[in-house]
Amino acid sequence: MKKQKVHIYNNIFKAIVFFFALITFLSVILIGIFMIVNGGPSIVKVGLKEFLLGPVWNSANEPPQYGILAFILSSFYSTFFTVLIAVPISILVALAIGQLMPKGLGSVLRSIISLLAGIPSVIYGFMGLIFVVPFVQRIFNLSSGLTMLSSVIVLIIMTLPTIISVSETSINAVNKGYLEAAYALGVRKEYALFTIIIPAAKSGIMTAVLLGVGRAIGETMAVIMVAGNIPQMPSMLKPVRFLTTAIVTEMSYATEQTRGVLIGIGLVLFVFVLIVNSVFRFFIKKAGKING
Amino acid sequence: MDKNIYDKQIRPGVIAVRALIYTVTAAVVTLVVAIIVYLIIKGLPYINWELLSTAPSRLNETYGIAPMIINTLYIVLITLVVSIPLGIGTAIYLAEYSKPGKIISAFRFAIEILAGIPSIVYGLFGLAFFVNTLRIGSGSGSMLSGALTCALIVLPTMIRTTEEALLQVNPTYREAAFSLGASKLHIIRTILLPCALPGIVVAVILSIGRIVSESAALLYTAGVDYTMPTNFAKHIVEPGAGLTVQLYLYATEGGAPDWVPYAMAAILMILVFVINLTANIIAGLFKKKVSVK
Amino acid sequence: MGIITTRNLNLYYGDKQAINNVSMEIEKNEITALIGPSGCGKSTFLRVLNRMNDIIPNCKTTGEVIFDNINIYSSKIDPMLIRKKIGMVFQKPNPFPLSIYDNIAYAPKYHGKKRAELDEIVESSLKAAALWDEVKDRLKKSAMSLSGGQQQRLCIARTIALNPEVILMDEATSALDPISTYKIEDLLATLKKTYTVVIVTHNMQQASRIADKTAFFLLGDLIEYDTTENIFTNPKNKQTLDYVSGHFG
Repeated sequence: MKKQKVHIYNNIFKAIVFFFALITFLSVILIGIFMIVNGGPSIVKVGLKEFLLGPVWNSANEPPQYGILAFILSSFYSTFFTVLIAVPISILVALAIGQLMPKGLGSVLRSIISLLAGIPSVIYGFMGLIFVVPFVQRIFNLSSGLTMLSSVIVLIIMTLPTIISVSETSINAVNKGYLEAAYALGVRKEYALFTIIIPAAKSGIMTAVLLGVGRAIGETMAVIMVAGNIPQMPSMLKPVRFLTTAIVTEMSYATEQTRGVLIGIGLVLFVFVLIVNSVFRFFIKKAGKING
Repeated sequence: MDKNIYDKQIRPGVIAVRALIYTVTAAVVTLVVAIIVYLIIKGLPYINWELLSTAPSRLNETYGIAPMIINTLYIVLITLVVSIPLGIGTAIYLAEYSKPGKIISAFRFAIEILAGIPSIVYGLFGLAFFVNTLRIGSGSGSMLSGALTCALIVLPTMIRTTEEALLQVNPTYREAAFSLGASKLHIIRTILLPCALPGIVVAVILSIGRIVSESAALLYTAGVDYTMPTNFAKHIVEPGAGLTVQLYLYATEGGAPDWVPYAMAAILMILVFVINLTANIIAGLFKKKVSVK
Repeated sequence: MGIITTRNLNLYYGDKQAINNVSMEIEKNEITALIGPSGCGKSTFLRVLNRMNDIIPNCKTTGEVIFDNINIYSSKIDPMLIRKKIGMVFQKPNPFPLSIYDNIAYAPKYHGKKRAELDEIVESSLKAAALWDEVKDRLKKSAMSLSGGQQQRLCIARTIALNPEVILMDEATSALDPISTYKIEDLLATLKKTYTVVIVTHNMQQASRIADKTAFFLLGDLIEYDTTENIFTNPKNKQTLDYVSGHFG
């Protein structure tokens, strides 16, 4: 009798967890479908080529022009420069914290960095507005500090904590026997770190880079306050609009038609993130295999 | 006899590399900490009970943030109510019941992808689905829509962390229980979940931090209302701006004197620090407990 | 005077003393074995000989270690340069995640050898470690593709590449299968003609097989140090007798 009851409870539980998993599964599919259904038609109406490669965005025009090339390029360049500067800095800091400093000090810095990783993006944006924008304006003698450079600076500061922690974890996870062997051969720690340990941590570092790229491409609130939001071809000292900020800037007062196009931009973002993720993961897997 | 071939030499290369590494680290850490500290110090003096307990009123020129705190609280709670069972349930299914295969791999891949989607895209989905299609609340968003959107955002982390915590449970416990004739549900309930609990708790706390920090996704799904809610049950389907969204609005659109966004930023940062600290402490406490076991 | 001589060597981890006043001479071109039960300090002592203990925080050493007519613990000395002359092979083979060629060439390159010399160094080191024939056709393959025994011989070759005078081996065969172990023991018999070898082993049979001299350590003290034959057949100290006849440890 008791066995039957246990059996029934087991089955109910199994059904419940399966149900929850199913809901999660369906949600993922739902998001994909909705983005396509709500954004796709607008893109098709504009014409895929015209949409992706059109250099002019003017939604208020008659007829409205919906070319997002400027947004795509702005997002691409800002992400590129952010990662270009943030990754080397992060690796150096990760080495310092995990391998070179005394354990106590390294621990303290690690905690500070993990706290920084949790700060909301709006605060980075706010900080950018207060410090970075006037700074850029002064240094480069501009009429306004709302520029792509300001967003890149904010993005770098924002992504540093994440890239640092993930890099640090992977570097510290590398087999310590390598360093020991290197010492026994009379090789200095720093040399061994750069020539053996970091290459061995390749796949972890690439994961960190992927996270940084993801954050930089997808960031909205932090950059919208400092980027200037003018839809024009990207240039470091000029105001720009990214794929993300393009959506937020016009959403509140967009016409039905423009709204659809904005969701189309969201779809483009979605697809880009998908592609970037897949490409990176392919290389990460490859790098992981080499080092066993 | 002194053999100077073994003597220490000054190598400029080594010194340069070390100097570079330490300088960069010091610069980065100092820069960011200085900024954070400055913001907190600038906003701290303005934090008082009045700020935390009243609503903003143009008429009286007061700028209380009580409604924002309440809105954030609503969103956090509702999100957790939705995402904890969904997340843990899915993780349990994946870890304990699912069989490896094409569909499951696709599922896992999908969860990975979900983790990388920008919040603004979630916001658009939330707008299109929860606000416009399901028509939850008014057309300008609601606590529920915002929370459901946030649930999707934190779901991947919840699932991943829980699954890892479950998989890390010592397999000998499982084997022992199985060989004693315990049913799967019993094993999960009495052994696996308790062992995985610290990981789950940390995941939940970190998710809270994530939700509190969220802004882009909430802008269109939870709305921008800044009035004090009157009916606490009804408020679930009413719009409301949380702390982050309101900070954004004040900083970009104005509507409040300078000190208000500073104060809000200070509060947000303190909140986030406390949340993170709690997560770290609990994670540390449980690590000690586990190692003593 | 041996090739390495220690005088009144003491080592402390914080307040705990791990090595008590050890003075001994390691003879050139011999295999010296350090034996003793777990925790007796033999590995720690081995690491004193090439200053590997420097890396451990809170580790203090007093006394002298004389090599090549200098005290290697003098503060004027750069330990990195000592380790070119006194090399070490570890218990768990730890080849770098590089190609076989690069593993051997790594340290010589760091220490200034030119590209042109590296090929020769790699070949002669691998030959000296009895590994050349097995890997000569796949020098560019990853070192990780080798078996455990081959990896360990690779590590030996890597050490030989720097042309040391002494090779220290810290339980270097305990992680290997018996056949690989015998191969390396054979190798050591050849190597001692060119180098001096000091091995730490918990395997007494190994010590009696290959060592010329044996030192018995217990709780940080050097109890007895004599020819291997004497240690195993006619020890002067009762504790030594107890250990080698298997009464403890």
